[in-house]
This record gives sequence, C-alpha cells and structure tokens, in this order.
Amino acid sequence: MSKHRVSRRQFLNYTLTGVGGFMAAGMLMPMVRFAVDPVLKANASGDFIPTPQKISEITEEPTRVDFSFEQQDAWYTSEVTNTAWVYKDENGEIVALSPVCKHLGCVVDWNTDKANQNRFYCPCHGGLYEKDGTNVPGTPPIAKLDVYPTQEKDGFLLLGKAKPREEA
Amino acid sequence: MKWVSQDMDMFLGAREYVDTAVLPLFPVSFGNDIKQSVAMTEFIQLLTIPLERQFKGRMIMLPGHSYLKNKSKDKLLEEAIVWEQELFDNGFKHVFFVTSDSVWKTLEDELKGDLIWLPSIPLAAMDEGARNSILEDQVKQLLQLFMQKWQDDV
Repeated sequence: MSKHRVSRRQFLNYTLTGVGGFMAAGMLMPMVRFAVDPVLKANASGDFIPTPQKISEITEEPTRVDFSFEQQDAWYTSEVTNTAWVYKDENGEIVALSPVCKHLGCVVDWNTDKANQNRFYCPCHGGLYEKDGTNVPGTPPIAKLDVYPTQEKDGFLLLGKAKPREEA
Repeated sequence: MKWVSQDMDMFLGAREYVDTAVLPLFPVSFGNDIKQSVAMTEFIQLLTIPLERQFKGRMIMLPGHSYLKNKSKDKLLEEAIVWEQELFDNGFKHVFFVTSDSVWKTLEDELKGDLIWLPSIPLAAMDEGARNSILEDQVKQLLQLFMQKWQDDV
C-alpha cells in the first residue's frame, strides 16, 4: 500500500461523487437516447412503398396498380396488398387515388358502369366519382377519394400513405 | 364487413345499406376425407377475405357454419334453412352460401338463398405469388355473380 493515506472525509467524498455520477448518468442516458431517437431512425422516407409501375408507362387513363408491403403490428408481420388508381392529369402530374369508397369502404372501379363513362363507380351502392376523385353529388359518397403522395425512384412509382382530402 | 366489433359499429350505423349476408359453409370430417375437408375449408376461408374487402359496405361476412360431414343431407338442409330464415328475418335481402362441398349442390333448390359452389383448388401446394393470382382471378369472377344478383333486384 502507498504511504498516501486517504482520510475518512476524502473517502466519503470520492465514493459519493462516484455513486452519484453513476445515478445521474443512469437517469440522463435514457432521456438523451429518447431525445435523439428520431434522428437515429433509419430511412425516414421508408414510408414510401415501391410499386411495379413504371413512371414512363403511366397514361392519362387511370390504371390499376397493385403493390404489397409488409405491415408490422408490434411483433406480428403480415403481407398486405393495396391498390391505387394511377394516371397523369392534363398538366402531366401523376395522380394516385385510393380505390376505397368514402361511403362504406367498398372498392371502386374505373369505367365499369355503362351509364357513367369515365368515372369511378362503386358497385355497392352506386357511388360515383369524377376522374380526379371528386364525388358526384346525389350519390351516396360525401367526400373525395383519398390520394396517395407519390415519389419516383429509378423510373418506378413509389406511393406513400393515402391521405383524405379537405371537404369537397 | 367482417364479424369483428370494429365493423359492427359501422354496421349498426349504416344498417339500411347492408342488405347482403354471406355464410361460408365449412365441412369437418375425421374419416378418409379428412384432408379433403381441410382443403375445402381452407380454400373458402382464403377466398372470403378478398371478397369481403371488395364489398365491405354492402355485405356482412359471417364467421361461417361448420358442420360434420357424416351428417345426413336432411340434417344439413335443416340447419341451413334455420340460418337463412334467421338472416331473412333480420332484414337481409340477399343471402349467399359459399362452399366447396358438393353436397350442397344437390340441396341448392331447397334453399331460398343463393348457393355458390366452387371446386376447391389445392392452394397449400402453391407458392404465394401463384396463390394470390389464382385467388384474385376466382374472386373477380365471383364479383360478377354478386353484382348480377344485385342488379336483377333493382
């Protein structure tokens, strides 16, 4: 042992500082981790799901695009297939509409009702939507079809989460 | 709508729009045809999922009626009639039975509801891609049937 003697006061000081430091670190570390978590989160743009649709092949006629992705509910992962109606509007912008009827959730189809050409038609209760997704007054739906945000990557179309639009 | 509490809230709120009930019929057997009865049940179960999704707002997909395959035809018919009577009494205008079991084909005329009989496809032996495309195709043809039936009624 060294000659240097540690007094009782010094010993208590050292141990208290040490233990106190550990406790403070134990409390602060998780807080810091929580604070920086959004930054560390991998691919924040991962919410966009790739589809097999080539951007160059999109026409002015709405086409059905099916895309599937893995949905994770806590530990349970399941494969989900979604559909979008995709077309280019007169300005050349890509529009992707959700096929889910705003009335009671059936799946709408393009141009299937002979009396209503160039409209989206819901087979359940005869709901109609214009090409841009606006509900036709006098039919059951009370809102426009939801739209998917779109992105492009390597010539393929990427779709985000469908969003409702403001009231028609 | 499925037979889950979330969809039931929707059903209770929009009852006048839901005029169709679908009852899948599932055979259960422990004899030589055990595998066959499983395949039939499985196929119909898979098929009802996209069907329900397509017509969510107008039909209610019931949890299904399982029956023992060694029961006599008369017994089966009796039960099915109780089912459809209950459904008609509760305001459904269209009742559909969906099954793979060919026994029902012979009973079709005795039922007031519509029977949809589809031969089962051995989906378990296929990979997911093939399975999905076959199911999709089957469902697409089924949709026509439902829409036709609704149209006839207007």
